[in-house]
Amino acid sequence: MTGRKLIMTFPVTATSHLLQDYRARGGYATLDKVLREMRPEQVTKEVAASGILGHGGAAFPAGRKWGVIRLNDGLPHYLCANADEGEPGTFKDRWILENAPHLLLESMLISAFALQVRHAFVYIRGEFDLPYRRLAAAVEEAYAAGYFGQQPLGTDFACDIVIYRGAGSYVCGEASALITSIEGKKGYPRNRPPRLTVRGLYQRPTVINNVETLANVTAIVSMGGEAFRQIGTPKSPGTQLVSISGHVQRPGVYEVEYGYPLARFIREDCGGGLHGTPIKCIVPGGISTKVLTAAEIETLTYDHVSLTKAGSGVGSGGMVVIGEGTCMVRLLQILLRFYHHESCGQCTPCREGMGWMHRIIDRIVAGDGRPQDIEQLIRISIANDGTTICGMGDAAGYATLGIIAKYRDEFEYFIEHKRSRLDGRLEVANHG
Amino acid sequence: MKHLIPEFDVMRRRYPAEATSSMVLPCLHRIQQERGHVADSDIAELSAYLGVPRIQIEEVLSHYTQFRRAPIGRWHLQACRNLSCSMRGAEGVIEHLSARLGIAPGQTSGDGRFTLSTVECLGSCGTAPVLMVNEAYHESMTPARLDALIEGLSRSGATP
Amino acid sequence: MVEFFINGQAVQAEDTQSVMQAANANGHFIPYFCWHPQLSVPGNCRICMVEVSNEGQPEGSGWLDIACNMPITQGMRVLTDSAKVRARRKETLQFITLNHPVDCGICDKAGECTLQDHHFEYNGSPSVSIDAKVHATKHFALSSRIVLDNERCILCTRCVRFTHEVSKTHALGVQNRGDHSLIRPVEDGAFEADPYSDNVIDICPVGALLSRPFLHQARVWYLKATPSVCPGCERGCSVKLWHRKSEWKLKALDPAQNERIDRVTPLENPAVNGPWICNKGRDLAQVFGRARADQPMQKGRPVELHAALASARALLKAAKNPVALISNWASNEELTAFNLALGARFNCFVKTDVQPAPGERLEDDLLIKPDKNPNTAAARSLFPLLPADARNAFGPDCDLVLVWGEGFSFAQLPPRAGIVYLNSWLQPENGHADVFLPISVMTERCGHYTNFQGVVSAFEACFAKKPGVADAEALFAELGTI
Repeated sequence: MTGRKLIMTFPVTATSHLLQDYRARGGYATLDKVLREMRPEQVTKEVAASGILGHGGAAFPAGRKWGVIRLNDGLPHYLCANADEGEPGTFKDRWILENAPHLLLESMLISAFALQVRHAFVYIRGEFDLPYRRLAAAVEEAYAAGYFGQQPLGTDFACDIVIYRGAGSYVCGEASALITSIEGKKGYPRNRPPRLTVRGLYQRPTVINNVETLANVTAIVSMGGEAFRQIGTPKSPGTQLVSISGHVQRPGVYEVEYGYPLARFIREDCGGGLHGTPIKCIVPGGISTKVLTAAEIETLTYDHVSLTKAGSGVGSGGMVVIGEGTCMVRLLQILLRFYHHESCGQCTPCREGMGWMHRIIDRIVAGDGRPQDIEQLIRISIANDGTTICGMGDAAGYATLGIIAKYRDEFEYFIEHKRSRLDGRLEVANHG
Repeated sequence: MKHLIPEFDVMRRRYPAEATSSMVLPCLHRIQQERGHVADSDIAELSAYLGVPRIQIEEVLSHYTQFRRAPIGRWHLQACRNLSCSMRGAEGVIEHLSARLGIAPGQTSGDGRFTLSTVECLGSCGTAPVLMVNEAYHESMTPARLDALIEGLSRSGATP
Repeated sequence: MVEFFINGQAVQAEDTQSVMQAANANGHFIPYFCWHPQLSVPGNCRICMVEVSNEGQPEGSGWLDIACNMPITQGMRVLTDSAKVRARRKETLQFITLNHPVDCGICDKAGECTLQDHHFEYNGSPSVSIDAKVHATKHFALSSRIVLDNERCILCTRCVRFTHEVSKTHALGVQNRGDHSLIRPVEDGAFEADPYSDNVIDICPVGALLSRPFLHQARVWYLKATPSVCPGCERGCSVKLWHRKSEWKLKALDPAQNERIDRVTPLENPAVNGPWICNKGRDLAQVFGRARADQPMQKGRPVELHAALASARALLKAAKNPVALISNWASNEELTAFNLALGARFNCFVKTDVQPAPGERLEDDLLIKPDKNPNTAAARSLFPLLPADARNAFGPDCDLVLVWGEGFSFAQLPPRAGIVYLNSWLQPENGHADVFLPISVMTERCGHYTNFQGVVSAFEACFAKKPGVADAEALFAELGTI
C-alpha cells in the first residue's frame, strides 16, 4: 500500500472508463457544484490553497500559474492539458487517459470555468493509440451528455474541447513548443518573456498543465484545498502517479502518496529488482533527472524536498530501475542518442551540443574514446545549463553529469580498454 | 485531398475562430491515414484550403517523425530502442525482426509488406519491449510473440 | 522612460525596448548574429548573453541571459564584458563553429563576415572537438541568383524571417530539426520570384548565402564601395556600388573587369529604403555595362567634338521653333545647367527614358515604384511632362529637336526637323541624328537625384569618363554660347 489514493481509487474493469461508470462513482457531481455554487476565482483559490505542484516535471505550483490569468480582461484564454508524455520511462498520464478520461475531462471543465476558458485542448502525443481512442470516445460521451458545447448543465458557461494529436516530437512536451505545435507549426519552444500565461497560444493568456495535475483538480475542489494539503507532505501535497519500469519485478503505474519511503516502494510494492537482481541505481523521474545509486535511495522518501536534496528530483514520475551489471556507458549512449534525435535545432548550445555529445559517446562505445572525452562531455553539459531556449539542453546535461559523476570509473575503463567493463550489458540475466 | 474537405469543415467547428493554422496537423494526419503518406498535391491543396503559407506545411512534414511524403510498406514495424525497452530486450526484437524479414532498420521488404524502423520512447515502458505496428502498440514482445505477429500480418494481405 | 545601467553607465530607455535595442541606441556594443533591428527576435544564436542583476542585489550575484529578448527594468545592472560574459561568449562561439567549415580561404564572405569578426574577438582558439564535422549540402541553388552552403549556415533564420516579415513571400523555411536542420526554399518557386530575395545575402552573418553572379569574382577587400543612388525607379534607393580599388586593378585582368560594378548592396537610408533594395538594383552592372557611345557624329559620320558642337550651334541659331526632350535620368546639376544655358531657347518637355519591362513588377508596398526612372521629380519641377501623344509637343512649325537620353523613338519626330541627340549608349538612332554627342553616365560623375517624395540623394563617381565622352553640363554651356 503506497499511501492514500486520489486518482487510482477504483478497480479497472472493462467499462470503468465509460461515462456511466464514472457517474456511478460520483463523476461530474463536482462540476455541477462548481457551476451552480462557485465563482471562478474561488476555484483558483482552492487550487492555490492545495499547494499542488505540476506533475509534468517542472513542479511549478499550479495555483500560482493560474493566478497570473486576469479574469474579465476581454481576451480569449486557453487551457491545454499536456498529454505528450514523451519523457523516456514515463507512462503514467497514459493510465489516466485510458482508465479515467472523464476524470480529466471533468477536471478540465472545472479548470476552464476557473480560468474563463472557452476553448480547451488536450495535446496528446501522436503515437498514443488506445489512450487517444479512449479519450476521444469520452469526449464524445461528454458532448452528448451536454458537458461540453453550449451551456452545460443549463448554465451560461460554455467550453469546447479539441484533442490535438502530435506527430512524433519529444520537444512538444515542453509547454511553449506544445502551443507552437497546436498553432500548426514545428515544435519550436519560445523564449520567455513573455510568459505563456500572458502571451501563449495565438498570443493569448494560456495555461498548460500536465494531465495528472489537471486530473487532481476535481478532488481538490471536491474536498477543498486545505484538505488536499493534508495528504502527502507539507511541501509535496497530494500523490504522484509513478510509472516504474526497467529491471524491476513488477513494472507498472502506482499511485504513491508523497513522503512514502522510496526504497520500500521499489522493494516491497514493486517486487524489487527483476529476477532478484540487486539494484545498481535508479532514474527517479524520467531520464532528465540525475541517477541515484542503490545506497542513496535507502534513506530517501518519495517527495520533492527529499529527492532534490539528494541532487535529483521527482521529475515526470518516470522511474527506471537499473540492475547491477548494467553498462552505464551504453546506457548514456541511449540517452544522448535520444536527445540528439529530439533537439529542435533552434538554439546553438543544444543543436550543436547534443550532436557533439552523441558523437563522443558513440566513439567511446566503438572503442575509440580518448581521455579528454569525459571532461568534454562534462563541459558540454555545463555549457547547456541555463543557456538554451528551453530546458531540453539542461536536461541532457543533468542526465550526463549525473551518470558520469557516479560511474566515472566505467567510462575511464571503457576508454582505456576500448571495451565495456560489463560486456556492454543492458539486460539482466533471468534466473527464474 | 479535396474529398476530405467536408470532414475538415466539421473538425474546424470545435476550434476557436482564430485557429485556422492549427488545422495543419490534424488535416495531415487524416490525409496520411487515407493515402498512406502525404503527396505533393496534398500540400498545395491544404495550403490553399487553410490559407497558410505552403512553407509551413513543408516544414511540419519534415519536423515530425510520424509524417511521411513517400509510401512505405503495408505494415510499419516501429521498434522502440530507448531506455527501458533496451533494458528488457529491444535489441533482440530488432535483430529478430531484421533476420526474419531480411531487412535492416530503415528498409522495406521486397514484397512491400513490411517496413522496419527504430523509434524512441513510446510511453509504454512498463510493458517493454514494445513494437508499434502502424497505429497499434504491441507490448511485452518476445521472439515467439513476434513470430506470431508477423505470421498474422503476412496472412492479412499486401495492400491496404 | 526607464533608467538602467550598462557597464556602470546610466542609460535612458523606453520600457518597451529590449536591452539590446537600448544598448545599440546608446553606443554600447553587444555582439549578435540572429538579432536584426528590422526583424523579429528569435533569440537562437545565444551570443548576446549578458550578465544582469536587479537593483539592490549584491555584486557578482548576476545571472546570464540573452540581451535581445530582455526587457528593461528600472535600475537593472547589465554587464556586457564581465569575466562570466566573456567565458560564455567563448563557449557559445565554440558551439557555433563546431560544425562550421573553415572555408574562409575560399569563402566570398571573408573580410565582411560577422562570424570571423566575433570569433577573432571573443574566442580566437582552434576547435577542441576531435570529431568530424557534420556535413551538408555545399552548393544548393536557392534560386538562380543565390547559392546556399548549408555547412556554413548557423541557422540564425534571418533569411527565413526576412521572407516572412519584409518581402512577405514566405518563401524560405527550416527543414528537418536538430543539427540536420537545413534552410530550404518553398517548393513552388516563390523564392525565385521574390523581387527582394537578394537582401538575404546581405543579412546572412556568414558565407552561407552568396550571390551567384558575384561568386568568386573578387575578394571584398579588393573593392571599394561608392555611395550612389539606384536609377531603377523613382524611389531612388541608396546603394553602394562596389568596384575595384585602384591599387587592386590588376594588369593581368581584362581591362573591363577593372572598370565595372562588381556588386551592388544597399546603403542604409531610413528616409528612403531602410536597409533594403530590390533585385533590380543588384543588377546595375548590366545597365551600366551596356555598349557605350564614344564618338561624336554628324549623320553617322564620325567627327571631332568641336566640329559637332559648331554644327549643333549653327542648327540652334537657325531654328525658329526648337523643342527639347529632357532625360529623366538627368541629374539635378545637369538639369540646372540645361535650364540656365538653354532653357529659354527651347520649348522643353520631360521624356520617359525607360519604360517598365514586360512582366516587371510595377509597384508594391515595400520599395518598388511604377516610374522606372530616377529623376522625374526634379525634371518636372522645371519642365512639363511630354504629352501622351508626343506629336502634340512639337507643333506644326518645329524645326529642331534636341533629344536627351535614350528611350525615345525617332519615328515620332517631325520629319523635317533637325535632330541634335545627346546619349550615352551605342544605339542605331545615334547615326540618324544631324549631330550626335556622346555623354557621361552617373557612375562617371557626382550629382544628385530627387525621388518621388522629394528626398534628395547624392551619388559619387566610381569611374573615369570613357575616352571620347563629355559631361552633358559642359556641352550645354558650350551650346549656350551663341
